[in-house]
Parts: sequence; C-alpha cells; structure tokens
Amino acid sequence: MAGGPPKALPSTGPHSLRDMPHPLAGSSSEEAVGGDSTPSPDLLMARSFGDKDLILPNGGTPAGTSSPASSSSLLNRLQLDDDIDGETRDLFVVVDDPKKHVCTMETYITYRITTKSTRVEFDLPEYSVRRRYQDFDWLRSKLEESQPTHLIPPLPEKFVVKGVVDRFSEEFVETRRKALDKFLKRITDHPVLSFNEYFNIFLTAKDLNIYKKQGIALLTRMGESVKHVTGGYKLRTRPLEFAAIGDYLDTFALKLGTIDRIAQRIIKEEIEYLVELREYGPVYSTWSTLEGELAEPLEGVSACIGNCSTALEELTDDMTEDFLPVLREYILYSDSMKSVLKKRDQVQAEYEAKLEAVALRKEDRPKVPADVEKCQDRMECFNADLKADMERWQNNKRQDFRQLLMGMADKNIQYYEKCLMAWESIIPLLQEKQEAKFPVTAVLS
Amino acid sequence: MQETYTAYLIETRSVEHTDGQSVLTDSLWRRYSEFELLRNYLLVYYPHIVVPPLPEKRAEFVWHKLSADNMDPDFVERRRIGLENFLLRIASHPILCRDKIFYLFLTQEGNWKETVNETGFQLKADSRLKALNATFRVKNPDKRFTDLKHYSDELQSVISHLLRVRARVADRLYGVYKVHGNYGRVFSEWSAIEKEMGDGLQSAGHHMDVYASSIDDILEDEEHYADQLKEYLFYAEALRAVCRKHELMQYDLEIAAQDLASKKQQCEELATGTVRTFSLKGMTTKLFGQETPEQREARIKVLEEQINEGEQQLKSKNLEGREFVKNAWADIERFKEQKNRDLKEALISYAVMQISMCKKGIQVWTNAKECFSKM
Repeated sequence: MAGGPPKALPSTGPHSLRDMPHPLAGSSSEEAVGGDSTPSPDLLMARSFGDKDLILPNGGTPAGTSSPASSSSLLNRLQLDDDIDGETRDLFVVVDDPKKHVCTMETYITYRITTKSTRVEFDLPEYSVRRRYQDFDWLRSKLEESQPTHLIPPLPEKFVVKGVVDRFSEEFVETRRKALDKFLKRITDHPVLSFNEYFNIFLTAKDLNIYKKQGIALLTRMGESVKHVTGGYKLRTRPLEFAAIGDYLDTFALKLGTIDRIAQRIIKEEIEYLVELREYGPVYSTWSTLEGELAEPLEGVSACIGNCSTALEELTDDMTEDFLPVLREYILYSDSMKSVLKKRDQVQAEYEAKLEAVALRKEDRPKVPADVEKCQDRMECFNADLKADMERWQNNKRQDFRQLLMGMADKNIQYYEKCLMAWESIIPLLQEKQEAKFPVTAVLS
Repeated sequence: MQETYTAYLIETRSVEHTDGQSVLTDSLWRRYSEFELLRNYLLVYYPHIVVPPLPEKRAEFVWHKLSADNMDPDFVERRRIGLENFLLRIASHPILCRDKIFYLFLTQEGNWKETVNETGFQLKADSRLKALNATFRVKNPDKRFTDLKHYSDELQSVISHLLRVRARVADRLYGVYKVHGNYGRVFSEWSAIEKEMGDGLQSAGHHMDVYASSIDDILEDEEHYADQLKEYLFYAEALRAVCRKHELMQYDLEIAAQDLASKKQQCEELATGTVRTFSLKGMTTKLFGQETPEQREARIKVLEEQINEGEQQLKSKNLEGREFVKNAWADIERFKEQKNRDLKEALISYAVMQISMCKKGIQVWTNAKECFSKM
C-alpha cells in the first residue's frame, strides 16, 4: 500500500513502552519484575504459519523454531493476552524462513517477512514478502533520513570480520535472522517509526526494487526540515541532560566493548579446554583395555568425560550464537544514537546562531522572525522526540540485558547440570563389586 | 658449603591391645635420601616383592600454576604425604613389615645409614637390573611373567599419558575460571552509570569473583588424585622390576644348564676319545701332539668335579627359581587386589570431586542469575 499522505502523528507522549515480553525470550521466562509471562503474539503467529519445507544451505532445522528447552515458554506464549495494561497491539511482524538463492552473479539469502495488521495504513490484513539483507539496509537508511529525530535500531553487522565464519552456515543465518527480526520488532514497537512510509513499503511491496530505483522521497515534515539544517553551526554547550546522555552512551559503549572482549576470551579458553578434554577422555578408554576388574569403571569415566565435552561444546556454541551478537548490536546502537545527538546539537546551534543574529540586528520589533521561530520549533521537537526515545530505549535496554545475562547464567547452569548428571550416574558403576563377573583365573587383573 | 634439604619427622605409634589407644613410641627425622636407601635395600633383599614406590624426587607433570620448585611448600607437603604413604604401605605388607632394617629406620635415628651399609646389600645388588634396556634372550620364558612385564610397560605408558593430559586440562580449566573474574570488575564499573540496573549488576559481579577464585581449591584437590595415579605409575616400575628379576634368574639358570651340558659333553668326549666338539685343547693336541693318558685322566677328574658342582648349583638354582616364582606370584596377586581397590577408590573420589565442582558451579550461576533478574 502506498497511498495517502503521512498523517500528523503525535511524536511524543506518555506512550512509554511497558514491560513487553521480549521477542527473543529464551527458555527462561521466569516470574520476574514487570510480569513478562505474557507471550509475544508475533511468535504465536510464526507457529500458525507452519514450518514449511526449508531449503536451507545445510538442510537444517527451520529457522523459526526456538531453543529446545522452551516448552514452558511456548505454553506461555500460547496464552494469548492482547491487553497489556490496556494497550492493544495492531501490528505484528515476523522474520523467518531463510532461503538460499543461487543466481549467476551471486548467491544470497532471503527472509520471509510476515505482517498482520488492522491499521488503516495497510490495505490488506496480512502480507508476506521476501527481503534480503540489503533491503533491510535500505530501510534503515531511509528511516534515518526521514526520521532524524528518532533513534533507529541497529542492523546486525553487514560483513563478517573474522573471515572464519561461513555466511551460509545454519548458525550464521539463524543468528542474522534473529537480529533482523529484532530490528523490525523494535520498529514495530515504536509509536512513530511504525507508521513510517518506508517501513510500510518494506513490509508490503511486492517488488521493493521499483521503489528503490525511483528513489521516491517520502520524507516526513520533520525529516524534510531537519534535512535542510546546514551543518555549519557549532554548538557551544550541550544542555546538561543531553550531555549526560552523551556521557552515558560513551561509558556504556566502552563497558560493552570490554564485556564483548571478556566473553570472547572465555569462549576461546573454553574451546581450548574442550580440545584437551577430547584427548583426556579416550585415555581412560585405552587404559580400560589393559584391565580386568577396572575395565568397566575406567570405561565409565571415559564416557562421562565425553558427555561433559559435548555439554561444553553446546555451551560455547550457544554463547557464540546468542550472546555475542546481542552485545555487538548494542554497541552499534549506541554509536548511531551518538550521531543523532550530534544532529540535535546542530539543530540547536543553528537556532541559537540565528537568534543571536536577530538580537544583534537591534530591531525594535519584539516579534521574532518566522524562520527563527521555525528553528526553535524544530529544536524543541527534536529534543522532545529524543528524550522520549531515550526513555523508551533505557527501558528496552534494561529488559534486553536482563534477558541476555539471565540467559547466559542459564546456559552455564544447564552445562553444569548436564555434567553433574553424568558424574552422578557413574558413581554406582564405580562402586559396584565386580567379583561375580571376573573369574579368579584372569591373568592380568 | 652448606646444603639445604628438607627433613621429615616420623612418628611411630604402636597400638596398645588392651585399650586400643595409640602411644607415641618413636620420633625421629629422616631426609629423602634415607628413604631412597631404605627402598634400595628392600629391593635387593626382597626381589620377589613388588616394593612400594617413593613419591617423585622432582615435580613432574606440572601445569603452569603448580610450582616445579622442590622447596615449594605445596610440593613439600604433597611429598610428605607420599612418604608417609610409602611407610604405611611397608608397614601393612605381611612380609616387609617384619624387616629389621625397616624397624630400625623407624626407631634408630643415628647410625642407621651405617647399619644398612653394613648389610653389604650393595654388593648383593645385581647391577644388571639397573640396565633397563639390556636384553637377555631367555629360551623358555614363563608366559605369565612375560605378560605381566608387558602389562607393566603398558600401564606406565598409559598413566604417563593420562597425567600429562590431565595437567593440560587443569591449565585450561584454570584459564576459563580466572577470565570470569574480569566480569566482576566491568560489571562494577558499568553499574556506576546505571540507575535501576546498578545493584543487580554489582552483586552479580561479586558472584563472578567468587566463581573465579573457586578454581584454586578445586585444582588443589585434584592434585591428590594425580598423586594417587602417580603412585601406581611408579608401582608399575616396581612390578616390572620383579619380572626383570625373574627373567635374569631364568637366564642364569639356562646359562648354568648350558654350561653343565657342555662340560658333560667334553667329559664324555675325553673318556671315549671322540672329538665331536671343537676345543682349543683338541686343536693344540693335533698341533703339538696327543696328551698323555695321565694328563687326560687329570682333566677328566677336574671336569667331573666341576660337573658335580654344576649339578648341585643347578639344583639349588632350580629350587631358588621355583621358590621365587611361588613367592613372587603370591605377592603379585596381593598387589593386584590392592591396585584394583586403590584405583577404584581414586576414581570414586575423582568423580566426587567433579560432582562437587559442578554443584558449586550451579550455585554460583544460580546466584548470579538471581542478581540479573533483579536488574
């Protein structure tokens, strides 16, 4: 749908996002502060579409399924509760079903975007389109252009820096799909961005390339005005509250960077530990071939170590796929937020400069000229939008990190539980009396 | 020049039968070299016994955090335990516990070294036993001993491998735990800029510190397991020594039998005048002329004496050999039972250690998760 002029939307308001269930809530939907046991309807939808046959690069599991231990959270999600503190959701977006396309010039992956909405901006109640990464990239830059006073969520990294990763591997595709899904959901949840024209086109257009080629300018009023802010003005001092935000973002990004490095280091050490374990276990097996009475106990220990190794591998895989990408995303997020802050500074700088110029002209007309008024208006809107977005962002950030870190703790708990079970199960084997099995005449033992 | 060495205090307690209370009867100091002397003595006088081994002289199979320094207090303590174990093993051995020199080791501080040397055991020692790689071709090897020697070689090899890898595993595990400590600091720093999230982060960071420091005790416990394995690594060597001794006895027996057989043959040839075997005497006789009948009689007499002696020796050697096999095999059976018992215990205690480590891990991460949930 591409009709009708953009509406005049309330860009701010007490419309802060309540504790919504996080779309990526993993297996641990605990009873937590804010009651996040309400399901995300988006994921409910995903299930009703069915897991169609997937032509995945490595013929793996459909991308839409969540982690195995989530039967309880699945149940949670099935308890549909639309009314969350009186809010009714009228827009649901899901990214799933990655498919590989092999063409003469290139090979790439597309994802299915399914939209369900009762909003009037959508002609049909339901849409299903296919998009690739560069389409998301296009959407993001259009959003930045058209909504410069708002914080636009980040995309997962375009290129894989550490060239070891195969960009068609199941794990990489799944990690990317999750990030793209989150990207769209963040926009969906935003009271202003979700009504953006480009977003609408992205969700509904059969052929996005037509729109891309024509370079249709569908800038909002605000976007249009901010676009014309010339960059030549230098702000003297950032207002306290925005300076505080700037400082916060700086430190925040720094700390996240450190956490990313630590997490990577841990994974590296764990992998090296795993390598040694994989050599360690089999030695017990070799030993058991020399023995009589000790053969079974030694073999048992060998198998046990093997189980622990497998559990460790699962832990490192999970951390690589689920933990690290989210950290990186937030670092990108804070980077883009800092640029928005700078833009805001420019708008204020222009206003102040123009105001000063007027004051210097010493005209006795008390009335402020129209263009200065426009600048002031622009600045005040920007400030309001940004403040509202920051508050929203802070809330979401808190939710996201709570989930992320709880997830990390959970994965470690699961790892230790698997190992515990393995070791506890061989104790009876080790304590068993072997007399009945081995006759006394056995030569070696 | 002064020499620094470590001495160990040995206290012997004897249990009074009447009330079961132990009374301190003897207390003296011994250094490692005296333990070595005791063991070398036992090896000579009890060649058919699998003599308990000493703990390692120098730290081997170390992983980076563990010190290879002989003066390091942890190493000294572990060695002390090993030496105590050595003495307990001897004390609980049905035959070795009765040895006089062992008794004196526990009771006579001064002069003990002289007493041991006076036994002249060094002279009795078969130097060939020290030559580990020298091969003695035995014509009729005892299969049981060959198999046992093969087993002891394999056991040594597999336990060494196990200890080496285990040390590397310990090293890596140490790394994993310690890096988590960094979370403590960064969470603390991060919490400073957060409002609602601050407390949760800060307290979670504390748990990460606890996690990181827990590995020290865990790995120290594991060293005891490694020591138990090491004891049997060295025991394998002792087992091998018994097999080797048997091999040499067998070899000597065969040489003696061969020697006797050739003397008998020589005697027969001299008596009958037929020369079937080459001999220098035969050659010289041919070259320089036949010997006189008197000379021949004299030689036959000498040979007959030697043959008699040889037969006596062979008889006693055979007897000795059979005794050795009987006694050795009895001790080997005893050793096997002990080994199976001990190693099973070691494996159980290792599993218990792992279980404890897992439970600690679950506890810490559960606590951290709780803190995160309050963010």
